[in-house]
Amino acid sequence: MTKPVISRESFSARIWRKTLAGVGVKFGLGWVALLVFCAVFAPFLANSMPLLMSKDGVISAPVLEYLSVEDAWILASFFIALAVYRLSLAGGKQILLFLLGSALAALAVNMFVKPPALVIYDDFRSSAYTQVDWKIMPPIPYAPVDYLRDLGSKGLEAPFATEGHTHWMGTEENGADVLSRMIHACRISLSIGLIASGIALAIGIVVGGLMGYFSGIVDMLGMRLVEIFEDIPTLFLLLTFVAFFGRSLYMMMVIIGVTGWSGYARYVRQEFLKLRKQDYVQAAVASGLPLTSILFRHMLPNGVAPLLVAVSFGVAGAILSEATLSFLGLGVVDAPSWGAMLDQAVKSSTFNWWMAVFPGGSIFMTVFAYNLIGEAFRDAIDPRLSDKAGVKS
Amino acid sequence: MLTYLLRRLLLMIPTLLGITVLVFSVMAMSPGGITAQTLIGGMDMKPQEKQALLDYYNKRYGLDQPAPVQYLRWLNNVSPIGFVTDAQGQRGEFSFSKGMDLGTSFQYGRPVSDILAERIPITLLLNLVTLPLTYIIAIMVGMKAATQRGSAFDVGAGMSMLALWSIPTMLAGVLLLGFFANIQHFQWFPTAGISSLEAQDMPFLPHWEEGGFVRGFLLDRIWHLILPVICLSYGGFAALTKLTRTSILENLHADYARTARAKGLAENDVLWKHVFRNSLLPLITVSAGLLPSLLAGSLIVENIFSINGMGQLAVEAVKGRDRELVLSITWISGFLTLIGYLIADFCYTLADPRVSYD
Repeated sequence: MTKPVISRESFSARIWRKTLAGVGVKFGLGWVALLVFCAVFAPFLANSMPLLMSKDGVISAPVLEYLSVEDAWILASFFIALAVYRLSLAGGKQILLFLLGSALAALAVNMFVKPPALVIYDDFRSSAYTQVDWKIMPPIPYAPVDYLRDLGSKGLEAPFATEGHTHWMGTEENGADVLSRMIHACRISLSIGLIASGIALAIGIVVGGLMGYFSGIVDMLGMRLVEIFEDIPTLFLLLTFVAFFGRSLYMMMVIIGVTGWSGYARYVRQEFLKLRKQDYVQAAVASGLPLTSILFRHMLPNGVAPLLVAVSFGVAGAILSEATLSFLGLGVVDAPSWGAMLDQAVKSSTFNWWMAVFPGGSIFMTVFAYNLIGEAFRDAIDPRLSDKAGVKS
Repeated sequence: MLTYLLRRLLLMIPTLLGITVLVFSVMAMSPGGITAQTLIGGMDMKPQEKQALLDYYNKRYGLDQPAPVQYLRWLNNVSPIGFVTDAQGQRGEFSFSKGMDLGTSFQYGRPVSDILAERIPITLLLNLVTLPLTYIIAIMVGMKAATQRGSAFDVGAGMSMLALWSIPTMLAGVLLLGFFANIQHFQWFPTAGISSLEAQDMPFLPHWEEGGFVRGFLLDRIWHLILPVICLSYGGFAALTKLTRTSILENLHADYARTARAKGLAENDVLWKHVFRNSLLPLITVSAGLLPSLLAGSLIVENIFSINGMGQLAVEAVKGRDRELVLSITWISGFLTLIGYLIADFCYTLADPRVSYD
């Protein structure tokens, strides 16, 4: 007789273990980690000024002087996140602590970081920065908005085609280095993906939760609302929003979030319809708990697992939405974006393959990574499904 | 069934109304809103002319009135029953047979219905060619993967379908256009449009002439459609293949399949006559969701391949802030989507007699 194995492993720990077992998901997480690294350290990876230099015996770090408020805030938040992760606290407290820390960091950064208002990239190629004892340049010595006009760049040059300075991935139409722009574009991509799906998730949970909990007339009205958002092709709705509301990055996050919640609402509604008649929910209702507590403290944690799957596919979708908008020429204006770079691939009847392959490739890899993670989550959460799919758990 | 259909059709009305309210309020809330002022560029117009045009727009569309009034006015014009309005925007008596008037596009100065009548067939053609192709490939690959479960083909197909699914349409479009339609590389396909100019005068079918081979209208059209259709279809069949595979696997080991085999039926008959028919249901459900994504997909594909369809029109309309056009396009794409869902639900009953909506 086999002894029954009693596992003390918690549900979330088991899901993590099963999720991480696949090969694909490791690749996916690896890619996302690379993106995060690039996004956080972008100013040190691709910039026109030296990281460190020694002139007349004085050692200085020009990169730090030119660090923008945003750069500094992202760096601070990253290290706060690392520190909070090391602390052994409950999940909710960690998130709260991180939010508090990064808000404080934002305040401090706004007060103390004063970068020069105008950066003239030509200066870094003048004698003040070249005639030095020694200097360490970033791996890619071009800033994303350094259009190299002073170097006589005509723009849209293939990799290694330019004499005198090396562009690993060529230059774009204004003569800026493509690789540098791609590194800085990680930020837009990641932040859009996370914040837009965060907004969509919040709306979806509230609407779907109310629909599932109350059912009846609320469900009926909510379903119509969901249908309205589902029946207009999302991309078209997005186009309308962006065209009429302007194109700042933050606006775009809100818009992609506001147009993308219907799927989450459906998921949550389905889960809540299943849960609302369960004993523990009835007990919570009978003991007179407030509605928010019943919905979000008692029901939500039990219905959250399938949402994880939807979220990781949703992040991929949000990143794709931003890239598509930028591709159609409705994206953020001057900031580097993968989609906008892809748009330059077939400008003026010539085909600039490097503008298609590199930015397009990174959009593909990012979307693929999130899809792989989502797939792994789904297989881990629903073993029945993975059995059906022929994958042994 | 009839009552069900009727109820569904009636439920469509609030949804369609909701769609227009949503889009209208987006436009009205935007900074600047919709006023005659924003519609008229007027750099090269005399002040009087400009004022006259402003007055005309204000009268015709009531653009100087508050947004809810504007919306009701638009709704009245669009709905088949309502008050009759004349060219000056004056309201006449109530009528049940006044017909629908989608208004005049601000940007093109032509009736919206005319523009749509030109553009919709092109997008529909694109999508109607894509849809069967998607299903055929998906069913073929999915079936092979399911029957050879665990084989190299199965694993390879699973991985490559997920990869295909993740390729953004614009990347595929740009790469195909760049490599297969550009002078720099292989110039095998045309770069733009859905037919060449000379094809308009050709006979329909391809044939041999004294001067040599003549493509004919049909072949020319197909030649133009190959790249856009590839772009539109790969994402769909990648998703469908996975679905087909799981759905067939589920049925392949069902009791009825075993009974059929025990009876001595040929494996092919078991597969196609029994298992396949029962695996159809999820495929049908997805077909409804495929339509809106196809419409959205053609937006990008038409943009890349310069095809003058509805997607291209949508981008132009939105960029030009063309209120009448934007409203009509959203309205129609919403309508098409709803009809798609309805047809899918109807096909459901055909595929599975157990399903009934009463």
